[in-house]
Amino acid sequence: MTGVIVGGWGFVIAAYSLTAAGFAIYGVRLWLRLREEKRLAHE
Amino acid sequence: MKTAWIFVALGVAFLVAGSYVGLFVAPAEEYMGQVQRIMYVHVPTAWNWMLAVLFALGAAIAFLFTAKTKWDARLEAGLEVATLFAFLLCVQGSIWAKPTWGVWWDWDPRLTSVAVLLFAFLGILALRQFVDDPQRRAVWSAVATIIASVDLPIVYYSVKWWNSLHQQQSTPQTVSSQYHLPLRLNAFGVLFLMIGFIMLRTRVASYRLARETAMPPMRGEEAGELA
Repeated sequence: MTGVIVGGWGFVIAAYSLTAAGFAIYGVRLWLRLREEKRLAHE
Repeated sequence: MKTAWIFVALGVAFLVAGSYVGLFVAPAEEYMGQVQRIMYVHVPTAWNWMLAVLFALGAAIAFLFTAKTKWDARLEAGLEVATLFAFLLCVQGSIWAKPTWGVWWDWDPRLTSVAVLLFAFLGILALRQFVDDPQRRAVWSAVATIIASVDLPIVYYSVKWWNSLHQQQSTPQTVSSQYHLPLRLNAFGVLFLMIGFIMLRTRVASYRLARETAMPPMRGEEAGELA
């Protein structure tokens, strides 16, 4: 036991991918909701 | 709305640059190895999550003082963006915890206090869905946000007050200078993204609140009675 973590790229990729997915999904949802609200406001 | 999208674009650009430096340029940490690279997304998310909570708290106080709808719309935006950030924070933290602590989750004071605030904000967002009266909904959610935000200083100081498994706060002063650039780039990236998201979400809430408070269209018979 050296106390050094070997490898770990899988965890790094998972953290970055899930963060990017979270931001992207929320951003797209915001865009869609804004478009819908604008449409309703002009009805 | 153009400004909001500029903030989002700036946020994405900074995050892409910061993540590139963090993943491929910055050296691996001596003991944590590659896993330490998670810090470049986790710490900026944590900093900006705290800012989003403070924004929601400020909007809640401003609403109670002014009773203006624009502050309720900002409160709703702050609550939702803070909830998203808290969720991502917990996910990133769990992924980091598994290889370093050996578990996905631990009821450590820092993790527990973040989870408490995440669920409190989720509860307030749910409350907003169930209350139809806009005025009552705004007052209730503002008061609930102020009460829930009491947890924020507990989150911040938890690693100092208790013998926590979570390490002390990471700042540019506590990490090696080689890690400053990706940390700062991503911190600004998440900050710009948060500003853009809050601006856009405020707009969505403003449209909905305006529709709710507008006079309902008169039905045919009602219009006939009046005539």
